[in-house]
Amino acid sequence: MSVHVSAHDLAAVPRAALWAVRLEVISQPRQLKLWLAFLSALCVFGAVGALLSLPPGWEVLGTTPSFEWGILITAYVFFAITTSGLCLASSLGTVFGIERFLPLEKRHAILAVLCLVTAFGIIALDLHFPVRMVFGAVLSPSPASPMWWMGVFYGVYLVFLLTEVASMFSGHWQIHRIACVLSSITAVFAPLTLGAVFAVLAAHPFWHGALTPPYMIFSAFLSGTALLGIVFYCVHRFRLADFERTETVALPALRFLLIIGLVASIVLVAMRVVTGLQSTIPALADATVALIAGPLALQFWIFRVALGLVVPMALLLAPRTRTPIGIFAASCLAFVGIFADRALFVHAGQIVPTTAAAGTVSVPYAEYTPTLVELSIVVGAFAFVALAYTLAERFLDMSPHLGHQARGQVEVTAWVPAPTEGVL
Amino acid sequence: MNGTGPSVSRRGLLKGGLLALPALAGSRMLSALVSSPDDAVAAAAAPGTTAAYDPALHDWAFVCHADRCIGCGLCVEACKLENHVPLDPEFNRTWVERHTVTEDGEVLVDSPHGGIDGFPPESTAEGAEGARTKEAYFVPRLCMQCDNPPCVSVCPVSATYKSEDGVVLIDADRCIGCGYCVVGCPYGARYIVPSGEETPIGTAGVADKCTFCYHRITRSQQPACVEVCPVGAREFGDRKDPASPINVALRDDRVRVLKPEQGTEPRVFYTGLEGEVG
Repeated sequence: MSVHVSAHDLAAVPRAALWAVRLEVISQPRQLKLWLAFLSALCVFGAVGALLSLPPGWEVLGTTPSFEWGILITAYVFFAITTSGLCLASSLGTVFGIERFLPLEKRHAILAVLCLVTAFGIIALDLHFPVRMVFGAVLSPSPASPMWWMGVFYGVYLVFLLTEVASMFSGHWQIHRIACVLSSITAVFAPLTLGAVFAVLAAHPFWHGALTPPYMIFSAFLSGTALLGIVFYCVHRFRLADFERTETVALPALRFLLIIGLVASIVLVAMRVVTGLQSTIPALADATVALIAGPLALQFWIFRVALGLVVPMALLLAPRTRTPIGIFAASCLAFVGIFADRALFVHAGQIVPTTAAAGTVSVPYAEYTPTLVELSIVVGAFAFVALAYTLAERFLDMSPHLGHQARGQVEVTAWVPAPTEGVL
Repeated sequence: MNGTGPSVSRRGLLKGGLLALPALAGSRMLSALVSSPDDAVAAAAAPGTTAAYDPALHDWAFVCHADRCIGCGLCVEACKLENHVPLDPEFNRTWVERHTVTEDGEVLVDSPHGGIDGFPPESTAEGAEGARTKEAYFVPRLCMQCDNPPCVSVCPVSATYKSEDGVVLIDADRCIGCGYCVVGCPYGARYIVPSGEETPIGTAGVADKCTFCYHRITRSQQPACVEVCPVGAREFGDRKDPASPINVALRDDRVRVLKPEQGTEPRVFYTGLEGEVG
């Protein structure tokens, strides 16, 4: 008995399946085996942290009543908006039919599903009662709460994405087209509701206000595009499926999208800093000062501004670095910059204590340091996405779908580095 | 048909019964996971709520007299004992702050261990050392039981709700522990219950806050902090009861609320406050 997945016959009997997996692993190139082993080890590290965080109320997290949302919320927001960004970037090809963005299609959808599943996993670990949330959201809905809407939109979004992926690999193009349109529409509304979760909190003026939801959308666009930049460089570097179109079409398109995302982010970061400094609300002004000249200044200027915005922009604009490796470096830095931005956003929003309660009175700023358990979960989450995506890239048919090219006519993928780096 | 109405065969009855069993079991499981609003009110009021208590007949309010408070910390201790609040100073249903105004006009706030052990003569706040004190006063803090509570509107599963008598309550069986109400409260009056010996069984991981000692006030008793206060700095009463001293305090004293700009409409009022209290 066997199951046919893409071009592979997978044994459905456990013993035979294990044997097949063993043979498959042995047959892989050494570099890939090392990469998979490294990611698997990080996943195990994350899984241990996840298990430790399961009992409700057990104090393995570094959060406190005056700093309730920590790095797990940062990671959740990061993966959730990255999912939306992937769809926003690829919708240019899938929804609007712009030819040069079409190669993004399959890879974005798989990455989006993986990022969203990871985001849900992280938030489930951060919530003390995730099962209650699923039933509670349905049986006792609270439409006044942006968090409820966020759950609805991201839940629906996952359904659309799964439909998109399933129809893509099963060849149901009519369903695929509808799923693409629906997921692209949801990709706009989901980060809007996520932004609203923070924007409605008048108790935290750094988060509060109409600027937060659009900020979330543009951050989503940039992180999704940056992730695609990383992945498509790997496609080019290791000559994976459809690498020719990646070099000629996808990477130049991504460079263009990255520049748009970076320009928008620079404008929004500048707006946030200027409006914060000029605010008459003490907590907002204090939080902004903490960000640019206080305890968060080092992270802000180095990771967010220099490495996250300025250097990537320079790499993308300079003629000498207008190469695949240049785009890869810019994407990596922008990706790290967005994560730093999410962490700074969550941190700065809580750094000014809402009250002089015990533990926060003797210091001007609320303090938070993530624990090893929290860090392991975040590291494990990144490793999970990378591992699952590597396996998908290896075993799924990533060639363009029937609408653009007949199935099965694409060359078999190979794990061979590209010989040269050309200027785009 | 024999003219006596629709008949039900034994097979049909059995089939219906077998189908109904999993449905019943499922509904039991669901109700165990998500309680109904009626369960919520009962759970919040228990233990010890009198069956005769009708929330619609009451309108509770609280007055903190900052000009009377001596910062002894008995209220904090009584609250922790009465409500199984963790002894860790980060977790409080009520706490006391000392506001020290320096001659430069700077306000320094300290609350060592939530004020449970009282206060040392000098402020422990950063920058207080060597500062010349102009005046100092104590500010008792607790949930403001807002009439427009941000914690209620942000809760995604309606676990936090406002009772008819004005008290904001939490259904611990429905709370998912997301912490949205904790970050949504402008007064820092909420916390997520950690696990530990002093925590009531089954409540670790859910949100908690002051309920005016709901289990006491629904039995015609005063909140624990009010009862132990040796100087009458905390006053509690029913605005619908004309004989309640709270109405005198609200009418005759110059009362104010904390953070009025938030629009939360607290039902905890203060007298004797100087300047802004965050």
